[in-house]
Amino acid sequence: MNRLHTLHILNKTPDHPRFSECLGTLGPDDAVALTENGVLGLVASKAFSSVQTYALEGDLNARGLSDDNLGAAAPIDYSELVNLTLQAERVISW
Amino acid sequence: MTHSTPDTENPSFTLVITGAPYSSQAPQTALGFARATVAAGHTIDRIFLYGDGVHLASALVTAPSDETHWPKQWAAFLEEHEVPGVACIASALRRGLVDSDEQKRYQLNANNLLTPFAIAGLGEWVEGSIKSTRTIYFHAGA
Amino acid sequence: MGMLIIIDQSPYGTWAGREALDMAFALAAFDQPVSLLFSGAGVNWLRKAQNTADIEQKSLEKNLAAAPIFGIEAILADRTACQRYNLDSEAMIDGVQLTNANADLLAQYSQTAFAG
Repeated sequence: MNRLHTLHILNKTPDHPRFSECLGTLGPDDAVALTENGVLGLVASKAFSSVQTYALEGDLNARGLSDDNLGAAAPIDYSELVNLTLQAERVISW
Repeated sequence: MTHSTPDTENPSFTLVITGAPYSSQAPQTALGFARATVAAGHTIDRIFLYGDGVHLASALVTAPSDETHWPKQWAAFLEEHEVPGVACIASALRRGLVDSDEQKRYQLNANNLLTPFAIAGLGEWVEGSIKSTRTIYFHAGA
Repeated sequence: MGMLIIIDQSPYGTWAGREALDMAFALAAFDQPVSLLFSGAGVNWLRKAQNTADIEQKSLEKNLAAAPIFGIEAILADRTACQRYNLDSEAMIDGVQLTNANADLLAQYSQTAFAG
């Protein structure tokens, strides 16, 4: 993976104001990790086709989302999420 | 307080939980993250409970028997891995979470802090944010 | 570098913003560099002439006025949010810098935190 400037951990649904605030601050070397209801963004927002996106498997499964819903996003487990927080220069939890 | 450069060879974490159990998923997500952190051999400097997150440290939480008891799950994790769990004193007192010292100080008729959690000031969070390689926040979602 | 504390929740209706301000004061008390960013509905913290007598809460305007004294480096407000809430410089408390809450702003800080 290239340089990961900021990892944005996003746990809000697309209807939450912080969801769009997060999208508004994404830089070119940033990545998004969708957790909890943030994973619903994969089916309700087009934003994640153009940004490096990860989604927590357990939260996808719980909400009945499958590989068909992932688009370009990669499913991850907690250990991969921990690694991402260390690869990134900074982490923001929205 | 000393300044130090975060160590990425032997990374350490401070986890801040601001969402309450049973009204948010935050304590669950934080526990999944914490378990993966220790499984990877990394250090957790401390867990800091802030705002509504302090409800996780209540000894009076009683979950239905067929639901996971998140305060007990967290307490077991903290004891097993000897990780300090700290609830912010200002957040805790406002929300009715007190240890025996605060019970005496404010002459309250009970205390309800779950072992091994402790109550302390925001200085614990400040120290964690300086000392730890990463400080990760777990907020209530929606 | 330092920390950016973001307040994006409106004043009085929830305690999250108040607790975010406490975080900023705590950092400043330990001589850590910290700035505040008001974004979204949070910009309503910055309106002048808040009279909280009837709702029996401490005035956030007064609390915020103490920020520079306690060593908080900057009070920033997202320009777009201020426009959205019809908050012009006349209506705003003193000492606020307008900015754009974007990647360039966040890149200036080593850590960013919300209170909840």
